[in-house]
Amino acid sequence: MSTEPQDEAPQAQSPDAGPALLEVEDLKVHFPIRRGVVVERTVGAVRAVDGVGLKVPQGGTYGLVGESGCGKTTFGRAVLRLEEPTAGRVTLGGDDVTALKGEKLRKFRSRMQMVFQDPLGSLNPRHNVDMLLSEPLKVHGVGSKEERRKLAIETLDAVGLPKTVLERFPHEFSGGQRQRLGIARALMLRPDLIVCDEPVSALDVSIQAQVMNLLDELQDEFGLTYLVIAHDLAVVRHLSDRVGVMYLGKLVEEADSESIYENPQHPYTKALLSAVPQPDPEKEATRERIILKGDLPSPANPPSGCRFRTRCPWAQDICAEVEPEWRETEAGHKVACHFDL
Amino acid sequence: MALLEVEDLRVAFGNSTAVDGVSFTVEEGKIVGLVGESGCGKSVTSLAVMGLLPKGRGPKRSKQPVQVAAAEPAGGVVKAAVAAPQAVPATGGRSRGGGADVSGRAVFDGTDLLTLTPSAMRRRRGKDIAMVFQDPLSSLNPVVPVGRQITEVLERHRGLKGAKANQEAANLLDRVGIPDPTRRLKEYPHQLSGGMRQRVLIAIAVACAPRLLIADEPTTALDVTIQAQILELLKDLVDHEGTALLMITHDLGVVAGMCDSVNVLYSGRVVESAPVRELFARPTHPYTIGLLGSIPKLDLPIHEPLTPIRGSIADVIRWRDGCAFAPRCDRVAEACVEGEPALVGSLHAHRCVLAEEIA
Amino acid sequence: MTIARIEKLDRLIEASVSAREAQTGSLLRQSLRRLKRSPMAVTGGVIVGLFVVVAVLGPFIAPYDPTAQTWGKEVFLNRNIFPGPRAENWFGLDHLGRDMFSRMIVGARQTLLVGIVATLIGFVAGAALGGVAAAAGTFGGRWGERVEAVIMRTVDVALAIPMLLLALSVAALLGPSLSTVMIAVGVAQIPIFARLLRGSMLAQAHSDYVLAAISLGVPKGRIVVSHILPNSLGPVIVQATLVLATAIIEAAALSYLGLGNPDPGSPEWGTMLADAQRFLSGAPQLAIYPAVGIIVTALGFTLLGEAMRESLDPRLRRQE
Ligand SMILES: Nc1ncnc2c1ncn2[C@@H]1O[C@H](COP(=O)(O)OP(=O)(O)OP(=O)(O)O)[C@@H](O)[C@H]1O
Ligand SMILES: Nc1ncnc2c1ncn2[C@@H]1O[C@H](COP(=O)(O)OP(=O)(O)OP(=O)(O)O)[C@@H](O)[C@H]1O
Ligand code: SF4
Ligand code: SF4
Ligand SMILES: [Mg+2]
Ligand SMILES: [Mg+2]
Repeated sequence: MSTEPQDEAPQAQSPDAGPALLEVEDLKVHFPIRRGVVVERTVGAVRAVDGVGLKVPQGGTYGLVGESGCGKTTFGRAVLRLEEPTAGRVTLGGDDVTALKGEKLRKFRSRMQMVFQDPLGSLNPRHNVDMLLSEPLKVHGVGSKEERRKLAIETLDAVGLPKTVLERFPHEFSGGQRQRLGIARALMLRPDLIVCDEPVSALDVSIQAQVMNLLDELQDEFGLTYLVIAHDLAVVRHLSDRVGVMYLGKLVEEADSESIYENPQHPYTKALLSAVPQPDPEKEATRERIILKGDLPSPANPPSGCRFRTRCPWAQDICAEVEPEWRETEAGHKVACHFDL
Repeated sequence: MALLEVEDLRVAFGNSTAVDGVSFTVEEGKIVGLVGESGCGKSVTSLAVMGLLPKGRGPKRSKQPVQVAAAEPAGGVVKAAVAAPQAVPATGGRSRGGGADVSGRAVFDGTDLLTLTPSAMRRRRGKDIAMVFQDPLSSLNPVVPVGRQITEVLERHRGLKGAKANQEAANLLDRVGIPDPTRRLKEYPHQLSGGMRQRVLIAIAVACAPRLLIADEPTTALDVTIQAQILELLKDLVDHEGTALLMITHDLGVVAGMCDSVNVLYSGRVVESAPVRELFARPTHPYTIGLLGSIPKLDLPIHEPLTPIRGSIADVIRWRDGCAFAPRCDRVAEACVEGEPALVGSLHAHRCVLAEEIA
Repeated sequence: MTIARIEKLDRLIEASVSAREAQTGSLLRQSLRRLKRSPMAVTGGVIVGLFVVVAVLGPFIAPYDPTAQTWGKEVFLNRNIFPGPRAENWFGLDHLGRDMFSRMIVGARQTLLVGIVATLIGFVAGAALGGVAAAAGTFGGRWGERVEAVIMRTVDVALAIPMLLLALSVAALLGPSLSTVMIAVGVAQIPIFARLLRGSMLAQAHSDYVLAAISLGVPKGRIVVSHILPNSLGPVIVQATLVLATAIIEAAALSYLGLGNPDPGSPEWGTMLADAQRFLSGAPQLAIYPAVGIIVTALGFTLLGEAMRESLDPRLRRQE
């Protein structure tokens, strides 16, 4: 359980301030593509995550944004060792997560948790709230039955649910309440890190706002560090201190939340920003739109050079030949593009 | 006169009312938004207008046709009572057992669509009014090449055959921005990406140059960059062909960028309707205000708490007892539960008894 | 901002909540409600219910001793004289002068027993195989995958053999008796249950709540037993109802082929059918009674099973 003093968790952080709680180095997850009926052979790989590195300071929130199929979920799962990384290293508070095995890994899981996209699907339909919340404590040998129940009630209170729900089953709740249950379950072990994979995308707008506010409140209350994964740039920006934009298994831009919006530098980020519909007719009418052509290429066979070049309005010859390096254009703002745009 | 005038549309599935007296109009060449959260009755409204709801059992209707009939001249009573049961052919729909009981009026270009016979409605569907659904994969036939699915429509409604139909289908695909259309015609739906499939559906929908296009969450299943492409395409169609578009969405951002006017739905009724700029500049109904406060905006300071609406759509009372939004409304007062709140105003209408104080 | 408390509103909300709660309830209750509305389920339920009551109470409600050859003198085998239905013997007499009606009633018990025991054998053994295969394949690493492959290939081979042939070979091995029939039919059902449970478990193993359990650090054994298994059994239990129908028919077939109980003492529909074949031309009614009994019972179980399958189908749940 976290014992770090909470006053060390400042709200907005510059990238290298303070010790990083979560550090990911050059993480890769490749899924082999197998062919053949009798003798299976590997004919290639889906490079779902192809070299992503990032740091999240204690108490901070890192937002990962990108389109469907770019590898966000796979990355989040690999960080939690729910998917086996092909290469790379993940450390949490200095401990190498990628090196853990068997029982050690199982014990370590109490320090990192996950909130899922599908609130109903991630809750066992045959377990009532009491079983749902006390199971993590039970399997880690925390407390007696009464203590576990007390902690469950405390946590329910923190996510805004009354203790009368303990005997109820997941299908008896609304979508927003189910997501609160999912969050409460992730909180039960008082973890250091919570990976939220599309925490609000299955919810209605008015409920989204409730859950986003809740995530923010809980962060202060429990000193949590978040990795928030979502396809909605506005959601990610709102929750995060720092935002990474992913395209086809790689980061293309990373910056503080403010500057991603005010000063986007990568063509993909610009296009993404210009595509988010804003609830303001004046802005919508005057906004410069960058409409990308075509679709996302297959991650099994990414384009040569810059991966974005097949859809990039600014692409030049060099983009097909040389992969752009990951460079810092200004303090704390990193981009993978050959040009300063 | 408006192209489509929906008046007091009611749809009930057995004992539960899905649409509870919705009225709105769509003018020629305009984009009208129907916006609201999951379950508020957007899809059911559009399916009812298209005559695509499964037919209901007769007796349950008894109460509502009386209301409709009362508002009509003597001849209309017979018409409403006799013709209504046939108005909803049993095609599509999710329900297996209970069908939908539909009442009210949906006047398209002078004819009430709800009184048409199934075969008359079939002749209109696709030709006068066409629809684009949320899930492009399940709206296409998986075992028929997309070209064939387009030429079918061309043959049925425009009498085009053979090479001519193929040529026109290729033109249509080109029109909706699919590269290399002649090759794509031979492909099956699963060989296309989500965005492409939606383009094919739009191509089918506009094949007969309908005067009204109904799009039910056409971009919800797509990525933002693809959504931007599709929205651009729809806007372009309206601009160039003069098609009217009824845009169903839960995203106020899409409404702001696309629509000329908008109707906000809550629990099966329109609670606010206004021209789009007016609505965003002076939202009047507490629900609309709450929705706008719930959206994270790109230019808002980060971490600043949003102002959500409390509770969920399950916290609801019946409209005839009072304001259905009352259980979630922060401004609720005694007046809100004293009978049905009426839709007040014409250009900017709202259904809130306290709206004048709020404004 | 403070929100006004309005008494009337509180009352209205309460009314709408209780109206809704009356409609919902546990998943099981919802399924039951759907079942009650399905004509298929009601027909199946009535048939099965009737059959079970007769099977349980058989000996007490039968008008005569089913084995007593009370009217033996009235039957003339060589002249094909079998008294038909009459006031004292509703279904007439069999070839030994026993009361057919009593034999049918008492025979229901044996038939039900054969069906249940055979299904249980198939269910337990098949579920064990399928469960082990799924668990090993999902959590057992490389070796687990091999175990799974071996089990499932064997099951596939067994599934390729016609069921009756499989049952016949078991029966040939054990010699004719009632237990032979039960075991033979049961063994023939093993592959079906194994495949079904494995498929159902694998689907659950890829669900989000299992991923959530892993991420919470729940041990693998516990995940299988308390998460995956309980959620996988539904379709298997439904299948068991359907298998009961097949088992009854197959047991009858085996009895008919002479692999059933050679002692004609206690009546059983399959054996009765087998006995009747010798007199098929002269007294077809002797075959018709047990045959109709078997068909109707099997139909009842099938209807009930199909209706249960439908009512548990999550795709149909939304309309509630
Ligand atoms: N188990 C797997 N085996 C093979 N390929 C996989 C597997 N899981 C994911 N992929 C592939 O990896 C890529 C990245 O998938 P991932 O789910 O991480 O994307 P995502 O960014 O989370 O997308 P979404 O927004 O749709 O959730 C996709 O092309 C996907 O098809
Ligand atoms: N075939 C049906 N049978 C019974 N009830 C139905 C049926 N179709 C819809 N409903 C109910 O009618 C109400 C309105 O549904 P509708 O599909 O119109 O919502 P929506 O506004 O389109 O929501 P979403 O954003 O989720 O698509 C819901 O409460 C729904 O459960
Ligand atoms: S490197 Fe070239 S193709 Fe890639 S983003 Fe920059 S300009 Fe576009
Ligand atoms: S009528 Fe009353 S409860 Fe309804 S929206 Fe207006 S203020 Fe709120
Ligand atoms: Mg994902
Ligand atoms: Mg809908």
